[in-house]
Amino acid sequence: MAKPTALVIDDEDQIRRVVRRALADDFSHVSEAGTGVAGIDAAASEKPDVIVLDLGLPDANGIDVCRELRKWSAAAILVLSARHDDNEKIALLDAGADDYVTKPFNTLELKARVRALLRRVSTSGSSTGTIIKCGELSMDLSARTLTLGGELLHLTPTEWELVRVLMINSGKTMTHRQLFSAVWPAKSAGDAQQYLRVHVANVRRKIEANPIEPQYIFTEPGVGYRFASCE
Amino acid sequence: MRIRSRAAQWVIAFALLALVTGALLPFRSHLGGAHVTLALLLVVLAVSAWGGRLLGMSVALAAFLIFDWLFLPPFNTLLVRNPLDWLVLVVFLITSLVAAQLLYRARAERAAVERAEASREADRMKDSLVASLSHDLRTPLTTIKALAHELQSVGDERTFIIEEQADRLNRIVNDLLDAARLDQGNLPLDVQVNAADDLLGAVVQHVAGRPDRHRLIVSLNDPASLSLGRFDFVHSLRIMANLVDNALKYSPVDAQVEVSAGVENGMLVLRVADRGPGISADEKERVFTPFYRSAKRTDSGGSAGLGLSISRGLAEAQLGTLISVDRKGGGTTFELRLPAVETDAIG
Repeated sequence: MAKPTALVIDDEDQIRRVVRRALADDFSHVSEAGTGVAGIDAAASEKPDVIVLDLGLPDANGIDVCRELRKWSAAAILVLSARHDDNEKIALLDAGADDYVTKPFNTLELKARVRALLRRVSTSGSSTGTIIKCGELSMDLSARTLTLGGELLHLTPTEWELVRVLMINSGKTMTHRQLFSAVWPAKSAGDAQQYLRVHVANVRRKIEANPIEPQYIFTEPGVGYRFASCE
Repeated sequence: MRIRSRAAQWVIAFALLALVTGALLPFRSHLGGAHVTLALLLVVLAVSAWGGRLLGMSVALAAFLIFDWLFLPPFNTLLVRNPLDWLVLVVFLITSLVAAQLLYRARAERAAVERAEASREADRMKDSLVASLSHDLRTPLTTIKALAHELQSVGDERTFIIEEQADRLNRIVNDLLDAARLDQGNLPLDVQVNAADDLLGAVVQHVAGRPDRHRLIVSLNDPASLSLGRFDFVHSLRIMANLVDNALKYSPVDAQVEVSAGVENGMLVLRVADRGPGISADEKERVFTPFYRSAKRTDSGGSAGLGLSISRGLAEAQLGTLISVDRKGGGTTFELRLPAVETDAIG
């Protein structure tokens, strides 16, 4: 696969430059836009694989930009957020962003998150069959089985759904709400949902070597969960 | 129109009453009781709406006397000839008093609504100020951190210090913003059933990548079963991160910091135990006051002295407690207690 391209939408020169240099290794071309409007135009004409979007744009609300891009763009969207509370991050993920990093971010973390999204973009097009592998975990979607190091794991139907949704979205931060609606059919919302975090804890105890230092399911505090990015 | 002086209000109100009375007086023998009472009632209503309850009631009483004295035959005496006129008189008095009272209440309610609106507006302004402040401060910090990181590839050790100091500034900004929100009492709370596993995992994540991360020993009191609590995950993580940062900072560099979690007597108890200098009895409570600095700790430690007071505020906001106790063998243990949830309650 040819090296992918990226677009950075940010009103701050310095941040654009920093992000562009951080992405230089993994992308053949990184273009820049200084406003939301210019960013949407550039996304339409250049069709980048990854878009890094700053929330603090002077001319547009980040959520609107995200929603607009999502209407016609398949690019992975990584949001840069400086906000103090998590509600905006959740709203952005619900509006179609794939992941976020909080300012002041660590360059290594930014690179890792972008790479994870890139892997998603490059694998989602090609059909990889019904087996999803990640580390020691192997999920067979048609047989509805999950094995760890070759051994079959016993999951409740809810736990199976939870792991399935997380694994097929690996590398992407899933908000609590996205997980609710994916795991529980719309009508049965309510009681069951409040125990989402308990189900995650139970799943971790089955798949993680040490549930306190998870290797597969990461917690994004206040936002949701993210499954490790699988090679 | 806004008349500042109360005395001026009274003068104007009674002048209005006198004016209406004077206008009606020449025709009193041709006027029925309804004409007069309605005209006077109008004055009472206008004055009540504008001048408040006391003035409204006084004018109502005066209007009652004027009506009786000047307009009910026999004129110029308080005597009433026709028994039916008594009824008119009493109904007039009651109507004007009730109207004055109702108008007063309506005004008071409107004033309360306006005050609430103004205070909501002030909160909105504060929120947007906090939001823009956090954006304006973090954007340059992001640039500083990222440039320092780029320069690390050149091999200059000082760039690590730049990055570290940028992180320290960021922590101070966070503390100040959190303290401001706690102070305003408009801290958003998202209380959910959470597992101790998850919170401890986030604590481990918090120190990941730091050179002193191996000093942190994290464990569950009862690893075989889930320990659950009803709390706000983000706030609780903030408390634990504060406690762990302090413990690592104030313990000898070769000493371990032990973090544990378990359910005891209906509470989920999280402990952070250090081998630091300890906290004397008279300081046990004082360490939780804002900007407090222990005499034993001469350096500022890179914080604004708000960490523990914010932590206690966050603990209490979610019906928990945070205290410090002496640790056996030296040092301090901070205990965070949050409402526990029975594992059996989960279907």
